[in-house]
Amino acid sequence: MIVVPMAVVLGLSAVLFGIGMFGFLARRNIILMLVSVEVMLNAVNLSLAGFSRQWNDPRGQMLALFVIAVAAAEVGVGLGLIIALNRNRSTADVDDLTKLKW
Amino acid sequence: MTLTTAQVVFCYFAGASVISALLAVTRRNPVHSMLWLLALFLHVAGLYLLLGAEFLAVVQVIVYAGAILVFYLFVQMLLDVPGEEQRSRYSAHWPFAAAGGLSLAGLALLALSDGAFWLVPESAPPQPAHSDVRLPEYTGSLTDVGNELFRRFAVPFELASLVLLAAIVGAVVLAGRRADES
Repeated sequence: MIVVPMAVVLGLSAVLFGIGMFGFLARRNIILMLVSVEVMLNAVNLSLAGFSRQWNDPRGQMLALFVIAVAAAEVGVGLGLIIALNRNRSTADVDDLTKLKW
Repeated sequence: MTLTTAQVVFCYFAGASVISALLAVTRRNPVHSMLWLLALFLHVAGLYLLLGAEFLAVVQVIVYAGAILVFYLFVQMLLDVPGEEQRSRYSAHWPFAAAGGLSLAGLALLALSDGAFWLVPESAPPQPAHSDVRLPEYTGSLTDVGNELFRRFAVPFELASLVLLAAIVGAVVLAGRRADES
């Protein structure tokens, strides 16, 4: 049973990825940049699940599962870094994190 | 063109996920953003169900909507960011970011649109290129996922646990340090 053609799934995935990319590049708040990364990861996982269905091959789902595991690790380290940053500078703004700049 | 029920449900999930993704990256209040992200995760889980990836849908709800999102909310509450709501949401270069995102999505849609883009069910699912080996009927069920995960992907599975352990240690080291020690 194929509900929709693969191209529709890929197009939805591309639109979601574009939204996440805009958010990552445009937002100031560093936490919301990480939120945008989550949107992009979901877009890629969606296309992987679609490929898995299309080619009748479980490897796509496996890859999506590992992407989820690595995303969990990324969130743990990323948010730990944000907490460490926030302890030194009371801000969540990437434009304020200029300690290396003279 | 008549749509089947599954296609209508797919359209709903697709539209709702695009709208909630847009709202998640544009809301001023970070907590509102994260709640829209929760809506996105749940709708993507519905899409996984429609694509026949039941286990992935369950993992999406438990890990993403359950664990990762709660982690985001906790960290947002821990942070001390005075005056966040008064400042502008976007950096000064946001038009370039919008152009980048739009052109990426537009180019991908353009590349896809010469094929069967609209909702026409395909007559037969294409076989993999190596179809001389007859694959067993793959249903995406929990049995298939478990067989794959603990046979062919056993080593990556164990490596994933190592990656998560390293992330736990790293998060504790990074976030547990006192300010006067650094």
